[in-house]
Amino acid sequence: MTPERWERLKILFSGALDQPAERRHDWLTRHADGDELLAQEAGALLVAHDTAGGFLEEPAVVDPADLAAVDELASGTRIGSYEIEREIGRGGMGVVYLARDLRLGRRVALKAVPRLHDSNVALRERLRREARAAANISHTAVATVYALEEIDGRLFIASEYVEGHPLRSEIESGPLERTRAVAIAADIVRALCAAHEAGVIHRDLKPENVLITGAGTVKVVDFGIAHVDSINTRLTAEGEVVGTPAYMAPEQLIGSAVDARVDIYAVGVILAEMLTGQHPLAPGRRSMAIPASEIARKCIQTDPNDRYRSAGDLLAALERELANVDAVAETVTPAVRRSAARWWWEFHQAAVSIVYAVMVWPTWLARNVIGGQAGNAVFVTVLAAAIVAVTLRLHLWFTSRSYSAELGWARARAAGWTLVSDAIFAMGLVVAGVLVGDARPALAVIEIAVAVAAATAFAVIEPATTRAAFGQTDSL
Amino acid sequence: MGNPDPNSLMPLVYDELRRIAAGYIRRERPGQTLQATALVNEAFVRLASERPRPFANRQHFVAIAALSMRQILVQRARARKAAKRGGAPDRVTLDEGLVSTEPPGVDVLALDEALTRLAAFDPAQARIVELRYFGGLTVEETAEVMEISPATVKRQWAMARAWLKRAVETAPDDRADAPL
Repeated sequence: MTPERWERLKILFSGALDQPAERRHDWLTRHADGDELLAQEAGALLVAHDTAGGFLEEPAVVDPADLAAVDELASGTRIGSYEIEREIGRGGMGVVYLARDLRLGRRVALKAVPRLHDSNVALRERLRREARAAANISHTAVATVYALEEIDGRLFIASEYVEGHPLRSEIESGPLERTRAVAIAADIVRALCAAHEAGVIHRDLKPENVLITGAGTVKVVDFGIAHVDSINTRLTAEGEVVGTPAYMAPEQLIGSAVDARVDIYAVGVILAEMLTGQHPLAPGRRSMAIPASEIARKCIQTDPNDRYRSAGDLLAALERELANVDAVAETVTPAVRRSAARWWWEFHQAAVSIVYAVMVWPTWLARNVIGGQAGNAVFVTVLAAAIVAVTLRLHLWFTSRSYSAELGWARARAAGWTLVSDAIFAMGLVVAGVLVGDARPALAVIEIAVAVAAATAFAVIEPATTRAAFGQTDSL
Repeated sequence: MGNPDPNSLMPLVYDELRRIAAGYIRRERPGQTLQATALVNEAFVRLASERPRPFANRQHFVAIAALSMRQILVQRARARKAAKRGGAPDRVTLDEGLVSTEPPGVDVLALDEALTRLAAFDPAQARIVELRYFGGLTVEETAEVMEISPATVKRQWAMARAWLKRAVETAPDDRADAPL
């Protein structure tokens, strides 16, 4: 169709449209100047017009998911010297792909930086500077930035690809064990120390940006890159602050000048979250629950001056805490608790030995009171039982302290003998007490009281300390 | 000074639209669709608060936004079509499976193609369709943007719509018999 013909068609269509429906055909024939084809065409258009119904009347609708997904790079796409493998992450501000750097044959995380207004030369330059600074950070806990690439007018940042899972996924399944939480925080702060030294502030530290590798080590990602997002934040309206306000220091949220202490704030939030499984400033919570950590509390002070002055200071505090946690753990771990019980068991053995030995003297007095064969028999019985019991107990005590490994065997051998000697000892004392009777009431009371005490000790107390010291299964 | 080159503003609008969409997704209203009008308005309000303001005026902005919307819809329709053919089987999102995002009756790809053909001999009509359908503008707003009278917009719109209706309904196989 030539433009001239189209112009004539337009005139025919519009003219006929102004006519009542039944007269349109005639009108067209009259005005088509013998161009049958054109008249037909106009007629067809009129029919289409009349039957179009709501066609295009309502503006296009779009699914937000479609909008957000637009512009993504399919697997296999070549971007400069990178080949996209798959998408590995997506924030409000950009998509991160796993890609292969074809020049060096290594895998990289390729972040597609949101498009920037082309006229914004200053911002571009700033981004470049940031990426360059980030590339200078060298630390095992920092995912290295390899390159800032400008491909077809878009910016891409290539960095070390870290295989692992985000810290977020661990927090989601509940609080972390204290030692581990503090150790992870310390690793994050070690990364911060290196970054701050290189003049790079992370600005968007959050559990999503902390990866735990397969080997269990910590890698902080998005150094300097995250900042791209915060620059772009200003392009978005309120209510959709990009990045995560929950981890942003107050001064950052209100847009004041920020320094390295915003990262310290973020560490505080993350540490508290690791310890409690919950964001410290979760809705409905005025202050931090439990003394999750004095360190975390100091980190999340509103006034930056109230926080740790530097990542180095924070690291020192975390390392002290780590040493403390270890020391505290010493007394609470089951193994250690058992060794405390062992001490009581040893004490028990020693105390019983002393009491038995001491009781030989009152029993000697009792023998003199009772006199004759009976006195001798009682005394010898008690003395023999005491010697056996004390010897065995001292043997066990000595083995426990010096040859701990043999203790189980030693206890197994001694068990029957101690039981028998204890029983005979107690019975001997009772008999002595009864025979002394009214002649020396005080002596009788001592004999019988110690007998009862000894019986209680070997029947009740000793099994308890033994079980505590050696465990249920091992108690003999 | 003149208006900045639309090509340089396009990415900005494009990203703004995406950002708005991401916001909607975050607020979790699955399956909800947005009218072009609402989206474009929202994007305008956001970008208008920028300093320096990237756009000379609203008209300038809407023209670019409408074009962006068209491109986005076409790109997604193409991606979906490719996915259906098995081009990218590994990444079919849930919403794609559950929600038919194309409004019934309008094949975006066919419309886009027809619109491109229309633009070849009547760029003005094609632009009117773009502004009204993809930008969600009213007749009056379209007239304002194009600096023509609302009556003209109405007439041109009627014809373009009729022509597109025929063009879209003609199956691709019958392309030879397609209108004009």
